[in-house]
Amino acid sequence: MSAGPYNYSYIFKYIIIGDMGVGKSCLLHQFTEKKFMADCPHTIGVEFGTRIIEVSGQKIKLQIWDTAGQERFRAVTRSYYRGAAGALMVYDITRRSTYNHLSSWLTDTRNLTNPSTVIFLIGNKCDLEGQRDVTYEEASKFAEENGLLFVEASAKTGDNVEEAFLETAKKIYQSIQDGRLDLNAAESGVQHKPSQPGRTNLNGDQAGVKDNCAC
Amino acid sequence: MPAGNSDVYNIVQAKFLATEIVKTIHLNVSIVDGPSSNANRVLALVEYNSSHALFVLVSSRCPPVSFSDLSIETVVPIDQHFSCETEPVTEQNYVTLIIKYRQTKYEYNVEIGKESCNFAAELIRAKEVATDNKTNFTWLEKYFGTMNQSNRNSDPTMSDRSDFVIVRNEMAQAQTTNNRESRLKYQLKLRESEFTQIQEFTIFIGTWNVNGQPPSVSLKPWLSYDESPPDVYAIGFQEIDLSKEAFIFNDTPREAEWQKLVMDGLNPNAKYRLVALARLVGMQLAVMINNQHYPYVKNVSFDTVGTGLLGKMGNKGGVAVRLELHNTSLCFVNCHLAAHVDEYERRNQDYKDINARINFKRNPQAIKDHDQIYWLGDLNYRITDLSNTQVKTLLIRNEVNTLLKVDQLNQQRERGNVLLDYTEGDITFQPTYKFDLFTDVYDTSEKARPPAWTDRILWRGKGIHQVQYRSHMEMRISDHKPVSALFKSEISVIDPIRYRKVQEDLLKWMDKYDNEILPQVTVDETEVIFDLVKFREPQSKEIIIANTGLVPADFEFIKKHDEPFYCKEWLRILPYAASINPGEKCEIRFEVNLETDVENLEDILVLHLKGGKDIFITISGKCQKSCFTQSLSSLVRIQVPILNLTEDEWDQVRKNNTPVRYSVPRELWLLVDHLYRHGLKTRDLFESCALHEELIRIRNWLDYGSQDPIPGTPQAVAETLLLFLSYTKEPVIPFELQDICTAAANNFENCRQLILMKLNDIHRTVFIYICMFLQELLKYSKDNSYDAKTLASLFGDILLRDQIRNSKPQASRGKANFVYNFLVNDLSSSLLPR
Ligand SMILES: Nc1nc2c(ncn2[C@@H]2O[C@H](COP(=O)(O)OP(=O)(O)OP(=O)(O)O)[C@@H](O)[C@H]2O)c(=O)[nH]1
Ligand SMILES: [Mg+2]
Repeated sequence: MSAGPYNYSYIFKYIIIGDMGVGKSCLLHQFTEKKFMADCPHTIGVEFGTRIIEVSGQKIKLQIWDTAGQERFRAVTRSYYRGAAGALMVYDITRRSTYNHLSSWLTDTRNLTNPSTVIFLIGNKCDLEGQRDVTYEEASKFAEENGLLFVEASAKTGDNVEEAFLETAKKIYQSIQDGRLDLNAAESGVQHKPSQPGRTNLNGDQAGVKDNCAC
Repeated sequence: MPAGNSDVYNIVQAKFLATEIVKTIHLNVSIVDGPSSNANRVLALVEYNSSHALFVLVSSRCPPVSFSDLSIETVVPIDQHFSCETEPVTEQNYVTLIIKYRQTKYEYNVEIGKESCNFAAELIRAKEVATDNKTNFTWLEKYFGTMNQSNRNSDPTMSDRSDFVIVRNEMAQAQTTNNRESRLKYQLKLRESEFTQIQEFTIFIGTWNVNGQPPSVSLKPWLSYDESPPDVYAIGFQEIDLSKEAFIFNDTPREAEWQKLVMDGLNPNAKYRLVALARLVGMQLAVMINNQHYPYVKNVSFDTVGTGLLGKMGNKGGVAVRLELHNTSLCFVNCHLAAHVDEYERRNQDYKDINARINFKRNPQAIKDHDQIYWLGDLNYRITDLSNTQVKTLLIRNEVNTLLKVDQLNQQRERGNVLLDYTEGDITFQPTYKFDLFTDVYDTSEKARPPAWTDRILWRGKGIHQVQYRSHMEMRISDHKPVSALFKSEISVIDPIRYRKVQEDLLKWMDKYDNEILPQVTVDETEVIFDLVKFREPQSKEIIIANTGLVPADFEFIKKHDEPFYCKEWLRILPYAASINPGEKCEIRFEVNLETDVENLEDILVLHLKGGKDIFITISGKCQKSCFTQSLSSLVRIQVPILNLTEDEWDQVRKNNTPVRYSVPRELWLLVDHLYRHGLKTRDLFESCALHEELIRIRNWLDYGSQDPIPGTPQAVAETLLLFLSYTKEPVIPFELQDICTAAANNFENCRQLILMKLNDIHRTVFIYICMFLQELLKYSKDNSYDAKTLASLFGDILLRDQIRNSKPQASRGKANFVYNFLVNDLSSSLLPR
């Protein structure tokens, strides 16, 4: 009946957004493979990664969509926001322009996701302290004003990468518990593992039988 | 808390949110008289926002090494309905913790000591601070959903929370098809040697057919025969109760009586706990384990099978217990097979039935799938072909081996009919059946049954070494003597640290695998750029998709949010969906064909891999303007070929910012005028198919302008005229007027009014201009073979063309009728604007 210890009970959908070259794909890769890709090609489309994590004893499968950051794809990538339970909004601490564009990324996120979507701001490439172009305080203030979670991270060293993904999941999980996130809403970004059609449960599962009768 | 517990403490804390603080825990808690008393419990006192709750967690391993070892069994809010008392357990250093919540009572045994004192004190303190009955316990809701099913209904706070549970049930159900669990189990099994070591356990197996006699003697001579205490006991009885009641109701006081004797008879040099007891009518099997090993026993289960009367009654058959000790699965089967000397085939069948029908309802479910199997009981095989006297004589002469050769079980096993793959130790003891009661004398009754080794113990599996196999003559209350066997068995014991490492490795590996089996493709070009694209001059480009992943990749071009189609109308994608096998490639052709006015080709296509990523393919290219595809109102504003205009000039024209220069477009006039002069007498003027290049030449002649005459035959010019009229931005009779036009088609006057009132000047002029040309054409019908009907139906479809190109011209007849009016009536002045 219930999920075994190695199974997962939820799927959370994440999107990673932000200007091109800020390190979105590297963050995803670091999170799923624990490796840094030194010369990562531009993402032309939307890449996909998964990892199973644990929050409060619950196994959760993260389904992460890494979007193309190039401006010319902006209109198309907008279609991927829908149904995201978490949005990781990334800028590059060594390039001020990527920080300046945050408000426009945030507007998209707010417009295209639901109010319960957890938005996490990541200042990436914090290993490049010498080239810093955006101070921690400034970004932290921006995050606070906009009600975002915030951390500076490095996809290169792995600093805070795990934390950003996990904290987001914890927040989402908490929203489920508080009832702020309605699991039944089609676009909550959270779902149970879809069952495969055409396969029936041969165990004579009681609860399953009951459900069938109800319809 | 004791220092050694801090690791476990962290593991327990991991079960909860960071804001839910585990205040204190208690390990090694057992449930009092619970049905599943094997599971070890952990109690945890948890605080959230100054409200407390007591959690009872079941640990699949002791101590737990990961929080996935723990599952929440019971949640009790600590409020005014909560109480906690303790009660000493007689003669033991245990104390019972009695937790009450409203009507529900939970009892747990804990060892007396500092840990239990602290825990109880904390509980009572938590209760004291919970005086405010407005404490909010909604944070507990989520945990009710994760509790074991059996405890849900009994939970005191559950009654009004059913909604929440239903949601969670649905989610959990969807898991059943996921095979991650079994994949991991399988991998763990493969790598077992990496995290286990072999430890030898002594296992004592005993079997005794007690002939329905009351349990009246000590079993010590049998069960405590050996000096040193075994680690595990599996004791089987047959015929503990021969009464009708026992047979019919499968209920007998003898069960408890014999079990008490068993417990009392166990080796006094160790403490034992009952792991499981299974009974069917007179067959009873109890498995006991030395207390110190008890925490390492899990997944206990039992089943019984009757093979007696009607092939299913419980007077004969088998009872079995299975368990996992550390990492080795053990199965004990106690059987009582069919009686009578000649019935050995029936006994073989009983054996097969027991194997086929025992089902432990957890994995592994069947007897044969266990690492070690111990098979015991009154197998009832006799000695064939010898009389009572012959057997007795041989026994007196101590020719046991001669007798064993004609032992039915040995014979049947040799033939592979029963207990295949099982081993039995050498028999050095006398037959255990049949004795006169209370004696060591073989049957002296009238029936005078020959003695036989009916009571046997066999085994199957790796690492089992028998050290004793014997009977116990001094047990005289039955017509059978008990038999026992002592084994040194190799049990694989998990090293928790190495186990955790391997498990983590595997989980990581599985995550990686999940990513690896995502479909993967590469595309050789994500930007497809077309050269200058011209009206009705198709171009195509190819890209190659290569499957670089491990699984077949199903791709499909999908439409973007808010768009009606997956690509623009000027593009065709071939194929737009397909499946590519790993290592294979697929060529995709993009064809553009401009039939509308498009300034630039711009499209981003979404190439979607089912279950995987999306790739964006950018299509771009410049388009060349053409007089085809323009609106009539733009064309009448230009006096020069369209390509002679600058972008700015054209821009102004398109916005209708420049004056109207001609009453009909220059291009239309050029085409029609040419036909006036050269085509009126041409047979089948509109029917021939011009060469594509010829049409392109005429298009260029119109678009670029030239001093040369039109480069083409009258037929080619006529076809160009049809094309021109077919592709104007708006049809000559606009879409919105077409229905009323066809409706009015029966009456020329009505048609005339429509043209007069509804059409704007430019369109009206063009319409009349075409019709007048057609009337001119009809004057030469002898030469060109056209009649009004034919021309009306040809031009009806063009002048009133459908909104969706190539759609079925259902309304053709109405359109033809409408145009017909204007071919056979006088158009002279009345229609022209005054
Ligand atoms: N030093 C340093 N370099 C990084 C870090 N993260 C990414 N990079 C580099 O930055 C470049 C761009 O990283 P990507 O991950 O491809 O950026 P992206 O956001 O996915 O870019 P698009 O796919 O174009 O949207 C790569 O060359 C990376 O090696 C980081 O934390 N530290
Ligand atoms: Mg990228």
